Amino acid sequence: MTPKSGLDGIESAPRWILLFLGAYLIVHLFALYLWNIAGHAFSIQGTSGGGSALSVTAMAAVSLWLCLLVLRSFPGGAALRPAWMLITFAAAAQAASGALAQLLGSNWLLNPLMWGGHVRSGLIEQIRRGALIAGGPVQLALLAAGMLAALRVLRKFGFWVRPSAADWAVSSIIYLFTLCRFAEAGAASLAGRPIGAEDWISLAGLPILCVLFLEAMLLRRSVVHLGNGLISKCWAAFMCGIFLTGAGELALWVIPHYSHAWPLKTIVSLIRFPTAAVFALAPACQVAAQRRAIKPAGDRREDLATGVPALAR
Amino acid sequence: MHPRSATLIAFCDAEAGAGRSRRIARHLSQCEKCRDQLGRIRSEREKLSARAAAPAMESGQGLAAVLSAIAAWREGRNGAAASELKARLRWQMETYFGSPAALAVERPGMQVEEMFGKANEMLEVFLGPGAAEAVRDDVFRGLEWTEPAGRACR
Repeated sequence: MTPKSGLDGIESAPRWILLFLGAYLIVHLFALYLWNIAGHAFSIQGTSGGGSALSVTAMAAVSLWLCLLVLRSFPGGAALRPAWMLITFAAAAQAASGALAQLLGSNWLLNPLMWGGHVRSGLIEQIRRGALIAGGPVQLALLAAGMLAALRVLRKFGFWVRPSAADWAVSSIIYLFTLCRFAEAGAASLAGRPIGAEDWISLAGLPILCVLFLEAMLLRRSVVHLGNGLISKCWAAFMCGIFLTGAGELALWVIPHYSHAWPLKTIVSLIRFPTAAVFALAPACQVAAQRRAIKPAGDRREDLATGVPALAR
Repeated sequence: MHPRSATLIAFCDAEAGAGRSRRIARHLSQCEKCRDQLGRIRSEREKLSARAAAPAMESGQGLAAVLSAIAAWREGRNGAAASELKARLRWQMETYFGSPAALAVERPGMQVEEMFGKANEMLEVFLGPGAAEAVRDDVFRGLEWTEPAGRACR
């Protein structure tokens, strides 16, 4: 049997995801560069919004599929099964949110709620809100519960460390941001300005994001204690995904405060897609590790002979 | 007339008496058959003396000695396999977790069985039972290893 290499098979899913992410970032950054040197002569907002949402939804679907593959490999009673089940539910919430928002929550021709002469705008709005809740607080809460379950397992094996002062300092950025958001919402309601449903949903997700951020800090320290193997990369990807989620929320709140000239939709797509890709990267690394383990022996004989790392030698 | 075996044994043991011994000696100088028989008697007597001189071995001590010999033989055969097994386990741990995790499951002077137990537990938990089993098979492949229970792995 010939050894699998390069981009062949599901084992190479992490490489494919990174390849797509790289291509996506290059295209978007190039578009931003052109827009900037053209002196904002054309709009890049209209072209990036829908495409970005679709690509994020597609990546969420890939993530869900990979999570299901991982979940199937952990039978009932396995220590990490609860963690992977919650992570799979989180991926399902994200994918369902994207699909609902794109198919039924948008005013486009293929939406069945737009057919038959009368547009059911109330229902479309409700679906859009439902999608926002599923992809926001629900997904974050499921992910936080999944990370907690994973941290418990890591603690059992002695790879859990108490958060350091630096961890608290980094987490405090998100806590401060959450406080600012709530203060802003409070000030707006006191001033009699209405707060939209989207803002309320976003605010509801922020306390969960604070918990997630602290978990990400603990996960980072655990991953440092584990090393740089395939399984460690999986948990490191979750950690990066959580950091990107927090950083994205922060950037999307800060940017409009400083400049209205920035193409916010393009920036949103530059944040959302990498976050979705990194979350998909985590189960992809786990699947790659499992497929590598069960790969026929003939493919790995040369590993034992020649690929022994320095420590093992 | 040939002397009887009992007379030859008495001659051999110097218990035949002086006159009788002279007669037997005279006969032996002429009879090859009796000389051969005397030779056999002496040979058997020496063997018996040698066995009697060996230290008496109790049944318990004997069993312990046999088990110790088997263990030493197994250890000698497993010695090389154990270091190879440790290297393979380290490599698998580095591949799936990383160098710090590989160092964490191997303390200095740790027996290979204990290291294997720890590594196997981690692989089962983080990789899943199916993949962990495949890793186990890979670790033992081509390795002549006898577990303490006596089960041979190849």
